[in-house]
Amino acid sequence: MVREARELHRKGVIASMVSWRGPLLGLVLLLPVALLLSGCPKKPEVQTAAPAAVAPEPAEEVVVVVEEEVVIETEEGPVTIQDVFFDYDKSVIRPDAREALDEDLRVLNENSGLRVVIEGHCDERGTNEYNLALGERRAKAVRTYLMAGGVDSDRISTISYGEERPFCLGHGETAWQCNRRGHFVVVE
Amino acid sequence: MKALRRSFLVFLVLVGGLPPVSGWTQVDITVTRTVIQRIPVAVVGLAPFHLESGGADLAAQASSILMDDLEFSMIFEVLPPSFLPFEAREVQLGTEEEVLPPLNKLKVQAMVAAELTMRGNDLILEGRVYNVARGTFLGGKRYFGDVKALRTMVHRLADEVVLRLTGERGIAATRIAYASKTKRATELYLMDYDGRNSVLVTGNRSINLSPRFSPDGRLLAYTSYRDGNPDLYLLNLETGRRDKVSALPGLNISPAWSPDGRWLALSLSKDGGTNLYLMRRMGKGLRRLTNGIGISVSASFSANGRQIAFTSDRGGSPQIYVIDIEGTNLHRLSFKGGYNASPKWSPRGDKIAFISDRGGGGFQIYLMSPDGSGVQQMTTLGSNEDPAWSPDGRHLVFMSTRGGKKDIYLMHADGSGQRRLTRNGFINFAPDWSP
Repeated sequence: MVREARELHRKGVIASMVSWRGPLLGLVLLLPVALLLSGCPKKPEVQTAAPAAVAPEPAEEVVVVVEEEVVIETEEGPVTIQDVFFDYDKSVIRPDAREALDEDLRVLNENSGLRVVIEGHCDERGTNEYNLALGERRAKAVRTYLMAGGVDSDRISTISYGEERPFCLGHGETAWQCNRRGHFVVVE
Repeated sequence: MKALRRSFLVFLVLVGGLPPVSGWTQVDITVTRTVIQRIPVAVVGLAPFHLESGGADLAAQASSILMDDLEFSMIFEVLPPSFLPFEAREVQLGTEEEVLPPLNKLKVQAMVAAELTMRGNDLILEGRVYNVARGTFLGGKRYFGDVKALRTMVHRLADEVVLRLTGERGIAATRIAYASKTKRATELYLMDYDGRNSVLVTGNRSINLSPRFSPDGRLLAYTSYRDGNPDLYLLNLETGRRDKVSALPGLNISPAWSPDGRWLALSLSKDGGTNLYLMRRMGKGLRRLTNGIGISVSASFSANGRQIAFTSDRGGSPQIYVIDIEGTNLHRLSFKGGYNASPKWSPRGDKIAFISDRGGGGFQIYLMSPDGSGVQQMTTLGSNEDPAWSPDGRHLVFMSTRGGKKDIYLMHADGSGQRRLTRNGFINFAPDWSP
């Protein structure tokens, strides 16, 4: 079974949360990703000495998600490879991640020309250096799972971004869970 | 009796009534400083000086920078000019010895007399240092430079004052490297220790992390994703030359210099797990220090270069461990709290700074003895990470979220004088202090 993913093709998602306790999908707005990625004037990479006002602590958490589904065109139509999520300071494949990876395995095994990079990501808690190593371990855990499922090792490479490239910008469990992930990038 | 009353007044002024110093914002003082240990110093001279083109009084700026530097040093207590029985800025070089007796009456121990003049396009800053009690001239220096170099000239003079009066190297002319994250990239910058004069040192629009100055201050080791993988680079700060010194598959991260500058400790993930290795500084002679599938990162050498403190999860959660550089005598230092990390051995070897979540609600910075005893909490506001020592061991630079986002802060090594350094609106972290 191949997952339908046309709707998710190149979509930007903004999830604006009234409270971090609320459901993630409660108030999801869909916008073209172009709207988010274009229109940013090129800023010179020079710091100004001018003091900036300290932003007050937001009363509510705002989670901004810029996300792009991986869509692969196959003879049977487009398919996606799903990301997998982890617990805090853990790299164990959870039951829900196992489900996602089993579908990913099917896609990879049915499309033997596909090569992927697995990016290991972490939430903002903990040190940057430790999180680089934790992200590495998460990416390798996903790779090991896929290899055990029959995918050739030379089709899967890994890289860790630690906490340096978060998917969700926010400071609560919603954003943290969103960022503790193994993210797939298709290279060919 | 009058003299006694007057020195009591001095004491009061020094303890409670220091005016806010320009350019600094006192954010938080957690420990009241002890005046007794500081040397009372007066700054005289620096009569108003303007460029021919007009503008601000550069001598007033110089005076303010000098007093900030001396006050921050933890070595001096600067007398507020308003308390002196004469007009401090009217004292001219050549006549400064006349004010030694009145300063001596106030129990001021040291005096700096300075003057700002111009020759051609160069500013000239001259400074003279006196032992007030003995009435002796200890030495002086003249600094020549462009108008833009005024701050640097004054910082150099402040370090000269420290050297003449204590024999120690000051830190006013040191710099701080840090990472600054924008929407598009994380770049490394250098700034003066007082937060001024930030300059970009990477600029490759990828992710750049973990800057670490070599002990001679000439090289900056750091990790960069410039070529896609987190590789280790050395930047020569004098020539601008960059060398990629470790680009093994996986992580090449968290560098640390040995005190003699000949070795770099780093963490590599090429063999499964993320382990500590030692290599010669240009990337040769790799030697593995830790084993296993766990994580070992954030190495820091002891002052004598014989041991390395680091963060590892080999016991199930991130904790601080120490290992000999031969790879022997591995032992755990931290036991309280679920997350202890980022150990930084002090330059004198007597303390290890680290972060811990033991208090709940984010991280705080702590100090402990190298045997793990005598833990002292240094921060309380916001979440605080990435401690790094000043080269004289009297101060710490760190990252704090207390202002609403990650910024670089300074404090004295007793926890006092906490102040914010970065105000650029970006996310600033991972500071390292130059020698």
